[in-house]
Amino acid sequence: MKKIIFVLVACLALISCGQKEQGITLRFATWDSGDALKIQQDIAEEFMKENPSIKIQVEAYGSGFDQKLVASFGAKNAPDVMYMWDFPTYSSQLENLDSYIKESTEVDLNDYYGGLLNYVKVDNNTYGVPSGFTTHVVFYNKDMFDAAGVKYPSKNWTWDELTEKAAKLSNPNDRVYGIGLLGKPDPYDFEQFLWSNATSYISPDGKTLKGYLNSNESVEVFREMRKLVDNKSGILVGGKQQQSGSDIFKASKIAMYENGIWPLNGYKKAGINVGVAILPSFNGNSPKSVMSVSAISMWKGSENKEEAWKFIEFYNSEKAAKLRVADLPVRKSLVKSFGIEENVELKPFYEMLSLADSTPSFLLNSNWKEVQRNLSPAIEEAMLGLRDPQIIMDEVVEKSERLLKE
Amino acid sequence: MDISLDIKKRKRKKISIFKIKRDTLVPYLFIMPWILGFFFFTLGPLLFSLVISFFDWPIIGNPTFIGLANYKEMFFEDPQFWKSLGITAKFAGIFVPLNISVALILALLLNNNVKGSGIFKTLFYMPSVISGVALAMIWGWVYSDEYGILNYFLSTIGIQGPNWLGDPNWATFAMVFASVWGQGTMMLIFLAGLKNIPKELYEAADIDGANVVSKFMYITLPMLSPTILFNVITSIIGAFQQLSLALLLTGGGPVGSTYFYAMYVYDNAFKYFKMGYSAANAWFMFLIILSLTLLVFKSSSMWVFYESEATIKKKKG
Amino acid sequence: MFKKNLKKTCVYIILIFFSLLFLAPFFWLLTTSVKGPEEVFLFPPKWIPTTWHFENFMKAWNLQPFNLFLKNSLIVVVLSTIGQVFSSSLVAFGFARFEFRGRNFLFMIVLATMMIPWDVTMIPLYMQFNFLGWINTLKPLIVPSYFGSAFFIFLLRQFLMGIPKDLDEAAKIDGANAFQIYWKIYLPLMKPALVLISVFNILGTWNDYLGPLIFLNDQRKYTLSLGLSQFKGMNGVDTTSMMAITTLICLPPLIMFFLAQKHIIDGVSSTGLKG
Repeated sequence: MKKIIFVLVACLALISCGQKEQGITLRFATWDSGDALKIQQDIAEEFMKENPSIKIQVEAYGSGFDQKLVASFGAKNAPDVMYMWDFPTYSSQLENLDSYIKESTEVDLNDYYGGLLNYVKVDNNTYGVPSGFTTHVVFYNKDMFDAAGVKYPSKNWTWDELTEKAAKLSNPNDRVYGIGLLGKPDPYDFEQFLWSNATSYISPDGKTLKGYLNSNESVEVFREMRKLVDNKSGILVGGKQQQSGSDIFKASKIAMYENGIWPLNGYKKAGINVGVAILPSFNGNSPKSVMSVSAISMWKGSENKEEAWKFIEFYNSEKAAKLRVADLPVRKSLVKSFGIEENVELKPFYEMLSLADSTPSFLLNSNWKEVQRNLSPAIEEAMLGLRDPQIIMDEVVEKSERLLKE
Repeated sequence: MDISLDIKKRKRKKISIFKIKRDTLVPYLFIMPWILGFFFFTLGPLLFSLVISFFDWPIIGNPTFIGLANYKEMFFEDPQFWKSLGITAKFAGIFVPLNISVALILALLLNNNVKGSGIFKTLFYMPSVISGVALAMIWGWVYSDEYGILNYFLSTIGIQGPNWLGDPNWATFAMVFASVWGQGTMMLIFLAGLKNIPKELYEAADIDGANVVSKFMYITLPMLSPTILFNVITSIIGAFQQLSLALLLTGGGPVGSTYFYAMYVYDNAFKYFKMGYSAANAWFMFLIILSLTLLVFKSSSMWVFYESEATIKKKKG
Repeated sequence: MFKKNLKKTCVYIILIFFSLLFLAPFFWLLTTSVKGPEEVFLFPPKWIPTTWHFENFMKAWNLQPFNLFLKNSLIVVVLSTIGQVFSSSLVAFGFARFEFRGRNFLFMIVLATMMIPWDVTMIPLYMQFNFLGWINTLKPLIVPSYFGSAFFIFLLRQFLMGIPKDLDEAAKIDGANAFQIYWKIYLPLMKPALVLISVFNILGTWNDYLGPLIFLNDQRKYTLSLGLSQFKGMNGVDTTSMMAITTLICLPPLIMFFLAQKHIIDGVSSTGLKG
């Protein structure tokens, strides 16, 4: 008996201890980690200096971002402001920002690169303010190129040239290779190679995969990639998880690696003499890159919408952009004033941005997630060279046609 | 010997020790904390998830009632369901025996009063102290086809190691070995069980001239059987709930060869936002584990030996 | 005598072989923590770094407020372990020592709860705690420990059932009630098993990632394991820092374990009855 009473009293005591805090606290969720996270915290500090009555609570969800966010939406207890990328999925939970933008003197949609705005709009309503982006480029190790006597990638280099260079840069006995390729690429990212060969996963109207995913052009891409591995000019690397291509690049074990801007500073810190080139083209087609866009959004159910918008405006400002050294500025005016275009390392990113005009598949068909379930292992299989890509892709097309319709 | 008479005598003896009337309440008082906890933290969520399994709930949106549709889809329309089930069963089939054997062997070795056993014990237990991201990182390196130490060692003895994480045929084994590496907990439990076996039994056997094998078969194993039961059950449960290592190390690959059932459940909830479907998956997994456990438990009366129920015999004999 | 020595040597050899097996990945963990980024992926693998970068530890520790994380982890670990020791042993005693109606049925349910996948209960639990206002506090991580855990209850119950009942008889004759028997006789007897579950609980809560991830929002409430995951964002891993922090996080439990395992050896050989 005593024990039960004790337990109940303890519970009550604990419950009553949860008092609510005074003042307005804005919850801000981010997926950044390490150095990038510090930047977010710095931005929060700056904002709080200018707005002493508002406290910013930075919530770093790291790699558990989606899971955390989903749980919090489900429990109707979401952060006020958050990073956002998957607008089609989450837009029903986000505040429509058009009215705020119209009245705002700080945020001008015309100042943004057009391609980026496509990502943050659903049914022509704006649900987020773009805050960062990256396109993909090829990083290369200048020292390794020099040592092997290989010329740096030229302005409009082709995939054939890449294959040649990779072969010359490889030395399998020392486990040194010309290029690192993702063994399990994110289908979202990988589509850029298909675009670079004038095809895509899905038809522009989003209705069929046949003739696109399993087209000759698409299969050619996979075969070219696989050729590099088979010739021992390239190796498959792990990507984001373990044995990341970036780590191997930092160890000077691969001379080339395709990625977004994220690892650039890391490479430099590791002492690599890194060069940046745009993606190579296939068969004379214009190279296209995927765009990874992050934006800041507001929760529809926030109780502090005014303050949340203030923070969004601040995040969009020049001050914040200056702090965000790990990202590329998304506003044309800032790109000009920061002199980015003269920066040899950052210029290729903007070049790829100006060439980008493709729409990623997940925006073309609402059931894309289901299709990706089949596509992801298929791409992996093709990269591992377990079967011929034509057979693999034909299979995926067959399995997935019905999923597109539902 | 009349068995039923035996049982009756035992029951009478037990009843006379604990007076009935007052003491029917006492055991319930002891287990009250668990009962309370069960209602607050388990039953509610459980019922909720059972109910939601009859709905379609994309989390970001409202639930709609769809009856048994989730279950129908699971069994008849989703090949991945069966694939993942098979992969998990295969994993469990290799992992459980191996895990138990390794833990038991290590415990037996350490039970020998070797000098520095404390250090060895810590060494063998260390792996289970690491978890999550760091664990996956370590094994990602060990198993790396190009730069990993495992293939490096194999190459020094002339074997060409497989691409552990890149070859669908080997990935399951890679997962098994990495999981067995963390068996420290099981080894400790075995050790505790071994220490609990009265030395007198071994001494008596020595006097009778028993050798190592018979001592193991007729003293160690039976006396250890409650512990073995515990470890088998928890091992099976662990195998079926294998998620975080797979999530971080193999991501379910290569080509879905390590797409365990728990990951399938997890993805359905958090990647595809089909909470109702995921709940149905989870309940099915629960039923499987439950049945397996019941089976093992039922069989335990045949091979598990409880000292406490033997004292009466001892006294008689 | 020769036979005995041979046996001992064999045992040693096997032990050392296994130790190397178990140790190797750890060794990499340790040495990678002090490597510079250019040495992490050398082939053939570099076992000993050329330059030791001990500053990796300080650097990694300062990248995030790990002192705060440490404090939070300690609070959770200590409070929840105390809770588990008492509640689980109470419940296990109830199941092991009494015959009562529904005993087996209830125990089956206890076992069954061990099999419930985290996914099933996670979101409803979150909503429940949210309703209580416990989200973003350490309470969801601590309070459930005061209600026993199926795993520990099971373990302790098995352990208790291996102890002969003669002790109960003796105590009853002396006029002790059930609780006194539990408190005065069995609790001390269960010490090795209690040490065991304390060790397990400490480790489990120390390394717990999913719980803190779901229930904590404010970074200042984070525990160590959650803080560690900060090195793995959506785009890449900071290998050396992650390894450095992992090494540091592993040390306290290991030391604690090494000290505690002596208690598991002592005092278990007898069950209180001689002859």
